[in-house]
Amino acid sequence: MTTAVTGPVVTYGGRRPHALALVRTGLSEIWSRRRLARYLIAAELHKKGSDTLLGNVWWIMDPLLQMGVYVLFVSLVVGRAGTTADYPLFVFAAILPWKWFSSAVNDAILSVVARERIIKQVHFPKIILPVTATVSGVVNFAFGLVPLLLLMIAFYRERIAWTLVLIPLIAVVQLVFTLGLAIVLAAINVFYRDVGNVARHVLRLWFYLSPALYSAEQVSKLAGDLPWVATVFGLNPFSVLFQAYQAVIYHGTQPAWGALGILLVASLGLLVACMYVFQRVERAFAKVL
Amino acid sequence: MDDYSPPVDAPGGIAAPARPAHVRSGRATDLAIDAHGIGVRYNLRFTKKTTVRQSFAHLLRRREGPQHFWALRGVTFQVEHGESLAVIGPNGAGKSTLLQVLAGIIEPSEGQVEIRGHVSSLLTLGAGFDAELSGVDNILLAGAFMGIPDREMRRRLPEIVEFADIGAFIDAPLKTYSSGMRARLGFSIATAVDPDVLLVDEVLSTGDQAFRDKSRRRIEELIQAAKGIVLVTHDMGWVTTFCNRALLLERGQIIAEGDPAEVVAVHTDHMEQVRIEKEAEAARLRLQGVL
Ligand SMILES: Nc1ncnc2c1ncn2[C@@H]1O[C@H](COP(=O)(O)OP(=O)(O)O)[C@@H](O)[C@H]1O
Ligand SMILES: [Mg+2]
Repeated sequence: MTTAVTGPVVTYGGRRPHALALVRTGLSEIWSRRRLARYLIAAELHKKGSDTLLGNVWWIMDPLLQMGVYVLFVSLVVGRAGTTADYPLFVFAAILPWKWFSSAVNDAILSVVARERIIKQVHFPKIILPVTATVSGVVNFAFGLVPLLLLMIAFYRERIAWTLVLIPLIAVVQLVFTLGLAIVLAAINVFYRDVGNVARHVLRLWFYLSPALYSAEQVSKLAGDLPWVATVFGLNPFSVLFQAYQAVIYHGTQPAWGALGILLVASLGLLVACMYVFQRVERAFAKVL
Repeated sequence: MDDYSPPVDAPGGIAAPARPAHVRSGRATDLAIDAHGIGVRYNLRFTKKTTVRQSFAHLLRRREGPQHFWALRGVTFQVEHGESLAVIGPNGAGKSTLLQVLAGIIEPSEGQVEIRGHVSSLLTLGAGFDAELSGVDNILLAGAFMGIPDREMRRRLPEIVEFADIGAFIDAPLKTYSSGMRARLGFSIATAVDPDVLLVDEVLSTGDQAFRDKSRRRIEELIQAAKGIVLVTHDMGWVTTFCNRALLLERGQIIAEGDPAEVVAVHTDHMEQVRIEKEAEAARLRLQGVL
């Protein structure tokens, strides 16, 4: 063995990088650690049982059961006449992406604190934790499409349209939006450990304020001569997303591309801002955990 | 020991005079670690498991007590490749914090540290494992966390498994392991990765006697392989046998640095002093109770 040094030279401490450099570092760190990302996603899926057939049965059963509960409940309260035609399919089109969103947010919130011990032991880019937690949900979402197709083939064959192939495009917009939230919430949860509790309630409220169980048209009709209500309602990202999913799954029409495009741009902006916040506070994680 | 003087504001210990920052670059390349005026400040407002609720409660109450705490201040030293440095000191002196800085886990609040080469940290053994994953998966995951190329990790896999001596359990989930098995696995992962700089924090006393002997031999091998080592231990035998230099930390500052035997002597001396003071205090309190 010689004493020649071949390894890298790193410096800790000193001047702080500026905002854009921080975000750029975050991106390049994720890229250079894609192997770690892959292992983390595999570990996440393993834990949820998603790498076994039986584990995935639940991801298929769960949305179906949830849909059953909503359909039953809403039909009892509002009466069948008040609901949209083919109501189960309508509800299902929103439950599927929502389940992905809410579980991704919940997983991401815990993703950093769950790795507390390795964070205090090894130096690695922490941003990879909420990112992989969010991305691994894509697999579950994809599996959720199986019961959707089964449902459509069994009961709503006349509603099957080519627009179903647009689902991945809408999912990409949703993914970008989710990533931003997931990253910043994961960071906040290191400092305030009850973010998960708060998020759970906010998520529930959010779901009921979004056109999942009712349609956006019903809202504008109810709003009547208060057009700002419909406008505010439309600003909800999940108002845009749910309507897009409903368009391609339920109506068999193309989604409102304009609204989706705006949402994508806004989500990208949010993502960059959230990455900046994360990278900025990341250095304190090992001290606080 | 005339070496000992209470820490003053000037950074740096006794044997390592402070150098101006601009001399740093362009030095001899066999410096593995070049730490200059390191300080680490903990914010006492955010400690473990703060909640939003508590923070609101804090806002309402008046702030009292210090908001910050310097766990390290003005720590300057160098480690050359091939050297093994022991860091000793009483509990809470900042030894673990120092290793975390060297590993890049904690960003120093002030000062700079330059590390040449791959660092492997054995800070808390068995930590960072994923209980649901198998031993093999944990090895690969640990390698990925440490940034070691996957191919290299797979190449070293048999060696790691062999050294950890876990046998058939290697494919079982980690939650079925005993704490000794976890410790062995942690040790073999961290030492099998061929680091240029190895950081060890009070881990040598883990495991059974047989494994202790084995890990002792592994550390010896690493030292002989002329790699830089920073070793935190309470075992003064280790310090004098394996380290060619020692550094005494007290309350976040370097009190003494130099020959292991001499530094250990200072440390033992101080510990003795502390013990006597404590006893005197206890006696005083007893006396007060009587009166
Ligand atoms: N995360 C933390 N937040 C606040 N204070 C800390 C934290 N970690 C360590 N400390 C404090 O910093 C000091 C040094 O701790 P440490 O480096 O663990 O000492 P050692 O390893 O020498 O026993 C101690 O007083 C300890 O209480
Ligand atoms: Mg310690």
